[in-house]
Amino acid sequence: MSAAGVTFTRVRKAFGEAVAVKGLDLAIRPGEFVSLLGPSGCGKTTTLRMLAGLEFPTSGEIMIGDRVVNDVAPGKRDIAMVFQSYALYPHMTVGENIAYPLKKQGMAKAERATQVARIAAMLKLEALLDRKPRQLSGGQQQRVALGRALVRSPKVFLLDEPLSNLDAKLRAHMRAELIELHRTLGRTFVYVTHDQLEAMTMSDRIAVMEGGELRQFAPPREVYDRPANLFVAGFIGTPPMNTLPGGFTDGTFSHPAITARFTVTGAPARVVLGVRPEDVLIGQGPHRATVRVVEPTGHETIVMLDAGGSPLTARAPAEASLNPGDAVSFALRAEKLHLFDAESQARLDARAVTLGESE
Amino acid sequence: MKRVAFNLMAWTIVLVTAFPLIWMVITSVKPQFELFRIPPTFWPEEITFEHYRRLLWETPFLTFMRNSLILSFSTTVLVVAVATLGAHSLVRFRYPGRERLAQLVLFTYLLPSVVLILPLYLMMVWLGVANSLLSLVIAYTSFALPYALWLLRSFMQGIPDDLESAALVDGATRMEAFFDVILPQALPGIISTSLFTFILSWNEYLYALVLVNTDSARPLTTGVMSMLVSSFNIEWSLLMAASVMMSVPLIIIFAVLQKYLTRGFGAGGVKG
Amino acid sequence: MLGVMLIAPCVLIFCAVIVYPLVSAVYLSLFNIFTPTLQGNFVGLQNYAELFAGEEFWRSLLNTLIWTVCTLFLQVVLGVAAALMLHQAIVFRALARSLILFPYFVSTVVAVLVWRWLFNDLYGILNHLMMWSGLLQMPLDWLGSMPNAMVSIVLVGAWKYFPFVVIAILARLQTIPDQLYEAATIDGAGAWSRFTDVTLPQLKDVLMVVVLLRAIWDFKEFDLIYLMTGGGPLIATQTLPLMVYKEAFGLDAMGRATAVAVAMMAVMLVFMVLYLRRMGKEEAR
Repeated sequence: MSAAGVTFTRVRKAFGEAVAVKGLDLAIRPGEFVSLLGPSGCGKTTTLRMLAGLEFPTSGEIMIGDRVVNDVAPGKRDIAMVFQSYALYPHMTVGENIAYPLKKQGMAKAERATQVARIAAMLKLEALLDRKPRQLSGGQQQRVALGRALVRSPKVFLLDEPLSNLDAKLRAHMRAELIELHRTLGRTFVYVTHDQLEAMTMSDRIAVMEGGELRQFAPPREVYDRPANLFVAGFIGTPPMNTLPGGFTDGTFSHPAITARFTVTGAPARVVLGVRPEDVLIGQGPHRATVRVVEPTGHETIVMLDAGGSPLTARAPAEASLNPGDAVSFALRAEKLHLFDAESQARLDARAVTLGESE
Repeated sequence: MKRVAFNLMAWTIVLVTAFPLIWMVITSVKPQFELFRIPPTFWPEEITFEHYRRLLWETPFLTFMRNSLILSFSTTVLVVAVATLGAHSLVRFRYPGRERLAQLVLFTYLLPSVVLILPLYLMMVWLGVANSLLSLVIAYTSFALPYALWLLRSFMQGIPDDLESAALVDGATRMEAFFDVILPQALPGIISTSLFTFILSWNEYLYALVLVNTDSARPLTTGVMSMLVSSFNIEWSLLMAASVMMSVPLIIIFAVLQKYLTRGFGAGGVKG
Repeated sequence: MLGVMLIAPCVLIFCAVIVYPLVSAVYLSLFNIFTPTLQGNFVGLQNYAELFAGEEFWRSLLNTLIWTVCTLFLQVVLGVAAALMLHQAIVFRALARSLILFPYFVSTVVAVLVWRWLFNDLYGILNHLMMWSGLLQMPLDWLGSMPNAMVSIVLVGAWKYFPFVVIAILARLQTIPDQLYEAATIDGAGAWSRFTDVTLPQLKDVLMVVVLLRAIWDFKEFDLIYLMTGGGPLIATQTLPLMVYKEAFGLDAMGRATAVAVAMMAVMLVFMVLYLRRMGKEEAR
């Protein structure tokens, strides 16, 4: 009756020719909130469905707690799942929907009623128990789906983009509720999403996936501050991290607009310099650029620059008065620069020491 | 003004289309002598149910009716039960040959009866069931089953996969998920399919013509036609009364369950 | 495993009442079988040779094509027109729809009886109406002479089956978004060009499928023609399905009958493959 960890060992899933998941290794700790994050088609939903038992891995091993579940039926895995479409049974009332998992466990009717009442109170669904799903709003349907998952107190909760059909305001509210729920229940949550905001705000750790492979598995802060490769660097953050390709000799990065000295060992000749828009400081500094587009958002202004032929995005204060065509100076925060191998796209362990303009 | 003219035109067309059927009802309640008036009267001068009385008590019509009911019900129950399971399998399971099978179903749905009927006739003779209602039930499955399977398959494709997945995660076995979740969702489709299968069987003529030639096993279609052929001079009022009686089940279905009919239509041959 | 078990009854029945008879039909067409005794001997392709050398097969094929093309054309034209009409707001629309659809659901036997009564040369209302309105001088023999018999079955076929087109088109019309018409109106399209530029292109796909399906079903129509004219006068309205029946049970030549059936199916295969392709494409979407 407690949380259980989840372990994927070299899990591969192929649908005929197409390979959805390519040898996934992933260890989720008991009670952890883990998001599987990535663009559509990255294999995150397939991964979750394999964990649920709705798809069977072509090879590899999946464990929940210390039990190998490859051949265990979905209903016997001690998991619950919330679907993107909610998948409420349209012909059953809200109460019957929530009671269904208990009914399948063979629980007596009176006991079921007690449990349903407990969940309904928890999710404020008491007034809706006799309604049919189609009589509910999207937000209410979402809560019923959550209730049906909660009622059986499973070891692991699986959530497949549960918030994507809600409007923006309700989504923000439900994020907070899910965080709260996870804290009070202390169970393991595996959460699939393509929305980095959801992943960043709720997760203990984020598993970033692309093309059926795991690109990074780390806490949100680390994924943001130390992206393991160019894909993660470009996928996390809005606007995304600037990437400037350049040469690298004797510890010096060179680009038409920017040079920088790094302390690094064994760097390749071709690298990519990464810098987040908030770490580009417009006003004064050693580098020069031309303003291309100015996008005021209210609390800040996004400025797109042309720096030596490369596009460069910067965040500027809302009051900055800039116009397209202006020539500006800018500086980069040295401690916030990232360096990637242009070939392997992997992060290089490097620290910038001095910055200057190239000739 | 334009509205009125359009309505008038539209209803004229509707009534012209429906005229043969209206004429059928009118003829069936005209006294015999009025039928052969030249020129014919439109409204009957006198309404009589004499033809219905004679039809029911002096001809084997009721036997044909009973045969048709037994035949159509048995075919419908058998075919819809088998096809519901089959369609569920075609839609929710993965196994080699599944796509081929679905194509084969569509292909057989188009197959002409005249190709199958001679071998089926030989088969019934060989099985020793020729000239019985059973032989017709067997033969009717050859067109009703592909039809029902195809129709139900389209209906079931409209049920989201997530529903079954949710039931499985909630602890149901695949069969339980079928009965608890899929079947209630497919019910409108099953009703539509049953109605269509029933109507198809009720109206079938060719198989009945070839496979059955005794009055005791004849359904209405061939039975009524044999009344036409056997009688010395054609009694049109009797035949019109028979036609009305034959259409009664259809009228009932039409009046009560029309929404299922139009729904079945969309899912059937026209759309995937 | 369970999936295979669920489909198994279907597959078994399919094999028994469809696949086996189909294969058997091809096999039987190679024999010379006397229907009453069902005794026969192997004759190879002789049935086919006789068929293709004789005139009757070609005549029946031609009749089938004439019937199919004419009745199908009328069905489509009437069906589209009626669908467009019923799509408008008219009073008692539901009742109007039911009345229009009813011929399709009524048994062919009923349809034929009613029409034969309407066509009756002495007491039929049709001749009287036409004479009364001055269209005819003399009562017309609708079913017993040519080309009247062909015209009659084509008309009855159109009457019986055009509701199929109506339902299909009506369903499609309801899915055309109003915005398309609004956009066209803003772009300056009149009523007619809204029809040709917006409605027709939207109907193209469903029309294609309906035409193929109806072509297949009209091609194999037996009941209606057999009951209306029996193929007569002589063989003037005898289509291929009627020829199969006549060979088997009129002339007691079971083997030759199956040969006709198999040849007929070969012709139909063209349409069937087209339809299957079409549906395959729709499935993929």
